[in-house]
Amino acid sequence: MAGVVDTIISWIFWPPLFQLVIAPGLVAALAIVIFILWFERKTAARVQMRVGPYNVSPRLGGALQLIADLIRYSFQEPIIPKTVDTAAFILAPLAMLVISVVPTAAIPVSPLPWTWPIPMEHSLLVALALTTLSPVFLVAAGWASNNKFSVIGSTREAFMVTAYELVFIISLLAVAAPVHSYNLVEIVEAQAGWRMFAILNPLAFLAAFIAILMSTSGFPFEIPESEHEVVAGPFTEYSGLLYGIDMGAAYIKRYVMSVLLTIAFLGGWKPLDPQPGAGLLAGYIAPLVVVLVKATIVMAVMSFFRAVYGRYRLDQAVDLAWRVILPMALAGYALGLIYGYLGVI
Amino acid sequence: MPPRPSRRRVPPYGFLAAVKGNLGAIAVGLKYFLDPNRFTLHYPREYIRLKPGYRGFIVLNKAKCIMCESCARICPAAAMKMVRFQAPDPRRPGKMKLYKYPVINYQRCIFCGYCVDVCPTEALRHVPAHDVVYYNLEEMDLNLEQFQVEPKSPAEVEGGIPVRYVFDPERGLVKVPEKGQAGGG
Repeated sequence: MAGVVDTIISWIFWPPLFQLVIAPGLVAALAIVIFILWFERKTAARVQMRVGPYNVSPRLGGALQLIADLIRYSFQEPIIPKTVDTAAFILAPLAMLVISVVPTAAIPVSPLPWTWPIPMEHSLLVALALTTLSPVFLVAAGWASNNKFSVIGSTREAFMVTAYELVFIISLLAVAAPVHSYNLVEIVEAQAGWRMFAILNPLAFLAAFIAILMSTSGFPFEIPESEHEVVAGPFTEYSGLLYGIDMGAAYIKRYVMSVLLTIAFLGGWKPLDPQPGAGLLAGYIAPLVVVLVKATIVMAVMSFFRAVYGRYRLDQAVDLAWRVILPMALAGYALGLIYGYLGVI
Repeated sequence: MPPRPSRRRVPPYGFLAAVKGNLGAIAVGLKYFLDPNRFTLHYPREYIRLKPGYRGFIVLNKAKCIMCESCARICPAAAMKMVRFQAPDPRRPGKMKLYKYPVINYQRCIFCGYCVDVCPTEALRHVPAHDVVYYNLEEMDLNLEQFQVEPKSPAEVEGGIPVRYVFDPERGLVKVPEKGQAGGG
């Protein structure tokens, strides 16, 4: 009997499956995204002198509102207009959701080799490369919708790609330089104590933070999906569950990038230090929880900005990215090179 | 050739000013996040008690009505109509009399209050309630019996707390419970 239980546990915690499907992959992403959506609505309401979701479950502060919304989206009729390219229209949001989760395969949550889904030698580059795939499907969704608002939204997203992609990659390479490695595990292990890269290299951290906001339509840069101008942009024609997937995919992408930011800049699992002999709980689950909590805090800060900021125009955002954020990322990279040359880490 | 629209040049916003502005915005947001001033009216549990002169729903006091038809004539939306029926005359036993009483159709009523103003015997009056709902449009066309029933605000019936909004010099608009009448009607 114990052998059977061990076998089932070893199947569930087989890293390639566990990491992609359960945590930090799809299941944890959905749970955290639901929490973050609730937090975002409540925070915006608090700052804007409202109450936010409340009546669904008054004692929990309306926390079940998002579950109710999910159920409503699930049972709503997904209307597929006659004018759309049906296959692309349906497949684009699904592909976007899946592609958004895929980078978690390259993100380690523990220093122990048996918890890695893939070899971690160049995991930073692999994760970065995988995060850059999903805008293609956003553009495809807008193009397949065959609607002027969708096409405008897709075009805006295509412009925004030029703004944030380079910044995000350069600012994360600023972490690889001092460690002399693309290995995310070594990058985390270099950040012992308070020597987190967010403190050592705040320029690169800020640039990466803003790039994440840009890439996932976070609030100062909620340009492709702006409700008031282009009616949810690429998602204008979507309804029902497909719309829910569309909306969720952006948040899941933000979550995955937050996990990557946590690993690269905020010390990953660092208060914990799993030793090579550690078991499943101490060696895998505990560091994973630490990473998820840090990523959730990062996402909560991003959600808070929704209450503070308005929306930049497209040209303002691209201008900001190329004139301010990109030099900031380059300066952060230079700082990383200096750290690497001096051997600070 | 039409004149070219002139474009006012906005002075460039300096880098330090931008940083300061962003930090200031975040500071204001944090201030309200930590010390929120929420004045949403939780409607069924709280309500604003309406003043006596409020132009709310209209009720007929049939005993005072002298059947003058003034209300039906003055109604600008044609919501007020007279119903006519024959009934035994109390003064002349054995004889029938034509009675006319007003009824209202809330599908058409604009709550202007002309009928109440014009009524010579104050048979029509406003009720301080405006939150009455109907299940369908037919129900909004009241008959004579329904027109004499005083509609109640559901918040008041279910024991909501009356609140009112006051202006606080430091916090702006704030919601306070109405004093002396807590518990509602």
